[in-house]
Parts: sequence; C-alpha cells; structure tokens
Amino acid sequence: MKGVLLKDLYIAKSNILVTVVSLVVLGFGLSFLLETSALLVLAPVAATTSVFISITSDAGSKWNKNVITMPVSRSQIIGEKFAFYIILAVLGIAAALIPCGILALFSFDITIGSLCLYGSIGLSTTLLAGSISLPCAYQFDAEKSQIVFMMSFMASTGIITALVLLTNLFIPVKDNILLAFHIILVIALITFFLSYRISVKVYQKSDIT
Amino acid sequence: MNNALTISGLTKTYKDFVLDKVSFTVPNGSIVGLIGENGAGKSTTINASLGLIQKEAGTVSILGRKELDNETKEQIGVVFDGSNYPEILSPAKLNRVMRNIYHTWDEQTYMRLLKNFSLPQDKQIKQFSKGMKMKLAISIALSHHSKLLILDEATSGLDPVVRDDILDMLLDFVQDEEHSILVSSHITSDLEKIADYIVFIHKGQVVFSKPKDELTEQYGIIKCGASQFDALDKSDIIMYRKMDYEWQILISGRDKMQKKYPKAMIIPATIDEIMLLYVKGEKQ
Repeated sequence: MKGVLLKDLYIAKSNILVTVVSLVVLGFGLSFLLETSALLVLAPVAATTSVFISITSDAGSKWNKNVITMPVSRSQIIGEKFAFYIILAVLGIAAALIPCGILALFSFDITIGSLCLYGSIGLSTTLLAGSISLPCAYQFDAEKSQIVFMMSFMASTGIITALVLLTNLFIPVKDNILLAFHIILVIALITFFLSYRISVKVYQKSDIT
Repeated sequence: MNNALTISGLTKTYKDFVLDKVSFTVPNGSIVGLIGENGAGKSTTINASLGLIQKEAGTVSILGRKELDNETKEQIGVVFDGSNYPEILSPAKLNRVMRNIYHTWDEQTYMRLLKNFSLPQDKQIKQFSKGMKMKLAISIALSHHSKLLILDEATSGLDPVVRDDILDMLLDFVQDEEHSILVSSHITSDLEKIADYIVFIHKGQVVFSKPKDELTEQYGIIKCGASQFDALDKSDIIMYRKMDYEWQILISGRDKMQKKYPKAMIIPATIDEIMLLYVKGEKQ
C-alpha cells in the first residue's frame, strides 16, 4: 500500500503544495475580515480535492487495471484511497493551524474552543462528503465522479444540518455547541469507516477492465 | 512437464458474448501465443485469469497455485496494450513506487533495462512515444523476478523495429526454463517468430491449442478449382473458403495429402491463413 500511496503523492504533489500555501495565505488575509479559525472549516475540504486528481489520473491511465495484477489486494487499493483522503484532510487542518498559531501569538482572538469547533465542522463535512464521493468514484466514470464529488459537499452540509436539528431534540445545541459538533464528528468518522467497508465489499466483486 | 498457467473450463457470460469453457496450458519454459480476431475472447480470458473480472465457472492455476494471492502476483509480470502507468510520473519515480509495491523489486535490473531500451529516467511518461511506453511497461514486468509474463496485445501499434526489440527480449526471458510467457496478439507473424504453442480462440471458444511447429509444418492450403474441390475426399477438409476464382482448402498432414492428391498444389499455411480460414471459411 505504501507504493500506491507514494504514487498518489507524486500525482497530487503540486496540487497539495498550492492548496497548503493558499490556506496559509488565506489564513492571514482572513484575519482582517473575520475569525481566522473559521479557516478550519474550509481547509480539510480544500485539501481533499487532490484525491480526485489522483482518481482522475488513475482512470485516465487505467492504473486500476494494472495495479490489481501487482501484489496489492483490492481492499488495499480502496484502503489507500480512504487513507490518502484522511491524510489530506489532516494536512489541510495542519496548514490552517499555521496562520492561526502565528496570529494567536500576536493576541488575535483565537481560542482552543473556536479551533475545536471549526475543526470539528470542517472534518465532519469532509468525512461525510468522502463517505459519499469515494465509493462513487469506483462505480462511475471520472466525469460523473467529479460531479458526485462536488455534490457530496452540499449533501454533507445538509446531513450536518439535519444532525444538528436531531441533536437539538436531546441536547440544546446553542448551549452545548462544542459537544454537539463532537458528536457529529464521531458520527462522521463511523460513517466514513462504514463507507470504506462497503466500498471494499463492492470493489471485491467488481469487474475491472 | 509442469505448467506455469493452467486454464480449465473458464466461463464468463456477457450480454452479447460468452467465453465458453476455455481450457489451455502454458508449459514451463515456453511461449504460448493466444490468437483470434477482435472480440474473440483473448482479453476476457487474460482478464479472468488475472482476477480482473469475476469468472462464472472454471479454474485457473498460476505457478501451481489456484489462488491468486500477493505472493503469486509477485512472480507475474503483466503488460497490457498501453502503458497503464500514470503519465505524470517518470521512470525514476516509478522505480520508487515499484520498490514499495514488489518485495522482489530489482532496481539494478530495472535501471539496466531502461538503459538497454534507451529510456530517459527523468522524463515524464506523457512525453514518451507508444513504443517507449511499451518498453517501459516490459522493463517493469521484467524487474521483479517474474516467472510468468502475460502480455495482452502488447506489441500492437508498434513499428517493426520496436517489435523486434521486444520479441528479442521475450526470447531472452524464456532462456531460463522456469520462465514462461502467454502473449496475445493480432500480429501472428510475431508469434510465428517466437511462440512454441498457438492457442486459437474464436467466438469465445478454443478452436485449437497446438505446437506452432505442428501448425506450420503439417497444415497446408490447397488452392484449386471447383472440379478439383469436388474430387477431394471431404473428410480431408478441415475448412474451406470459396474465393472469386478459386477454392482455398485447409488440410493437415501436408506430405500425406500431397501423396494422396499428387496433382494438387499444396502450399504451407501461415498462422494468419489458418486463422482466416477458421474465421471466414466453412466446415464441410
């Protein structure tokens, strides 16, 4: 799996670099307009676009047909894409934390609480979107996958809104906002794991030509 | 003799095509050529053997193992039509990727092959010609101590010089008796040069699986007119085809037939002609 991950890093390298630099620059730029920690909502979403660059490249070169003949199992192929997605999401968060950390040193209003809240929202949105778009990337062609990828973020925002409303039935969200979004993050993590398991099962039976 | 690949009763059904109980073997130390027209089932056979598509029935044994696990895949080199490697990568980057995929990856062999084929290490694959891409794919297939090479239309679309380079490399590979090759190709002249056995697939079925020498030495074509055709013993005819001004009849046992029909003009049949007569001809 290490080799396949390395291949994806090579493919997405320039895109990852541009995203990380943009997030850092955007972080400083945003500080004059709104709370810099809000960048944590956008950062993992922006960073994970590189996964779809690698998926498009795989489809273009028919890499998936080739890699199955190598000592890499189908579950490892799927597992690598999901792992790559998580790595990029975490990298996005890390990139966004750079301006937040620096600005915090200069007494900008950045608290641990706001970082946790926006980080949870960003990661939840990204994981839920990935739960939808990653399995579809192995079922549809590259063009349809990109459409699904874009729509998955809208869908994940809708799901989060629904989860907030649902949580509000049991816990008043306004008073426990951090707890509510941590619950949503846990749900998103479970969904992402289930999506991975389902993708592996479906891919095991798929014909790759 | 042990077989590197044994395919038995391989079946796969599509809406408009059936791969019907395909069976043949690739003996150790040999080159087996898989021939057939477009859509005959060559790629389906290879894809099903490699686990790319789910087979409905039949068994595939590769290097003595019925299960295609990672350990077995370490010993198989596969080359498809097209390079199937991300075009943004260079051969040097692919080296680092493959080093982390194959436990048996041999960097020295890979670099030597790149040098032999005059492939630049740091140029992106997208800047390579088709011939260069195929050479790269073959270099990768040969750089992890493969015992079985499977090539699916790997030489199609290449110029004769590049094809000749690749054929030489394949012949060199089977000098080791533990090495074997299954190669599917439209270019039967290539297979005539290198193959030990020919497997002919037509409409999803194996028509024959024979040693190449038997085909080229035993099979012949009688070219004659209608009266001569009528005079032939019909049990001697494998396939026949009526052309504009003559009949072409595929027979086997050329010498025997020449004695039986001393006036007939019997010419040796090429693999191309045998395939054409089976595909376009009629059975008596």
